[in-house]
Amino acid sequence: MLKVYKYTLIDLARNKFVGGWLLLLLAITLGLFQLEDQPVKAMLSLSQVLLALVPLVASVFSIVYLYDAMEFTELLAVQPLHRSKILGGQVLALATALVLGALAGAGIPLMLFHPGGASLTLLLACIMLTLVFTAIGALIAIRNREKARGVGLGLVVWFLFVLVYDAILLWVMFAFSDYPIEPLIVPLAALDPIDLGRIMVLLKVDLAAMMGYSGAVYEKFFGSARGILLALAALMAWVAVPAALGFRAFSRKDF
Amino acid sequence: MDRLVFEQVGKRYGKLWALRDFSARFMPGEAVSVIGPNGSGKTTMIKCLLGLVRATTGSIQVNGQRVGSDPAYRHQVGYMPQITRFPNELKIGQLIDLMDDIRRSGTPRTEGPLVRELGVDRMMDKRLGTLSGGQRQKVSAVLAFRYDPGVLILDEPTAGLDPLSSEALIAAVRKIKQNGCTVLITSHLMEEVEALADRVAYLHEGRLQFLLAPEEIIEATGQQRLSKAIPAMLTHKRTADVESL
Repeated sequence: MLKVYKYTLIDLARNKFVGGWLLLLLAITLGLFQLEDQPVKAMLSLSQVLLALVPLVASVFSIVYLYDAMEFTELLAVQPLHRSKILGGQVLALATALVLGALAGAGIPLMLFHPGGASLTLLLACIMLTLVFTAIGALIAIRNREKARGVGLGLVVWFLFVLVYDAILLWVMFAFSDYPIEPLIVPLAALDPIDLGRIMVLLKVDLAAMMGYSGAVYEKFFGSARGILLALAALMAWVAVPAALGFRAFSRKDF
Repeated sequence: MDRLVFEQVGKRYGKLWALRDFSARFMPGEAVSVIGPNGSGKTTMIKCLLGLVRATTGSIQVNGQRVGSDPAYRHQVGYMPQITRFPNELKIGQLIDLMDDIRRSGTPRTEGPLVRELGVDRMMDKRLGTLSGGQRQKVSAVLAFRYDPGVLILDEPTAGLDPLSSEALIAAVRKIKQNGCTVLITSHLMEEVEALADRVAYLHEGRLQFLLAPEEIIEATGQQRLSKAIPAMLTHKRTADVESL
């Protein structure tokens, strides 16, 4: 797996998109810290941007990269290598490149302008969301033969998690406001990885007004530290499940 | 001992059988041209052998090792695909290093079959994304021949190659055959089939129509050239099939 990982990472290191991603994050982060007079406000604005942008870029880039590499993957699949090692190396390299891009583009300025636990939590949420959406992107690329269909599906999944699911959750809360549905919100919020990332950050920032309903419920039920750990554990499950499904599909795939 | 054994291999995609009851044995040191119209099952047969698709029925053995979930048998297999897109940003030398790592080969980059003959030794620092189709074919050929395979699969090997490189490739096939390698070649070029093949396997609609030596085909049809003998053979076979009903 390390052989495929190493050479895929070399390829990705020279990829213009990865460099562009780093520069975009750098521009956004520096821009927000220049525009806002209070660093905490800039960090909160940045968290809104990053929690939407990171999943989009991770899923779409993973899908496009894996489609473009399909013929090379086929060549690797005829070598004396287990398929799990091929996919493991490629996906790990994709996640590494995107995480390093996020850490260099957003992490370094964050640590310079607003060092502390909140910024670290935001970076952790970004890393976890990169892993989650890289795994989802890989699963989509493996399960769908057509690139356009795969990219479209990636966009639909992102839109669902970034906007639609929250809207549905809000509707459920209003529709059943007369009932004690708070305990239900914890597992329901865990079904959206982007929500989990948001909850992690906002629990650390401790701004109840901006937490939203699900964040407030997480704090009420678990407190700040336990809430973050729970959200992190749920995000790990969000990495593990699509990754396991992807490996299963790849091992059975007919090229 | 047979190098390559197919026993009633079939592959079904949905309701369509792309390959059906394919049985054949191939000896060490023989070259077999696998020919047939588009959609005849050639690629499916090769992909079953390479483990790229799982056969629905039957079994395949390479040197006594069954093709299945254990990829170890692929140490004995070299494959030159018709078209390959490599990672754009890697250099040719890095691609060879990767494959050498996987195959655990200690051969220096600039050595090995076809490296010098095809001029790949002078292109080691070229990015794969900048190569023309013909240059990519050369890199594929070098990788296919590099690890002393017992079974070599060439998919339209000379397509896109210049005449000198085609000659070098054909010479390399002849040499590797002499060393006992079994070579399967898919090609639409009858000159290539005539030049290399010890036997010709003709597939049509997923079924093996015949597997004969070129001389046998020519003798059975009374034609002078293989390019004319193969269509005549099919007519001959159809007539015989009808008569046997």
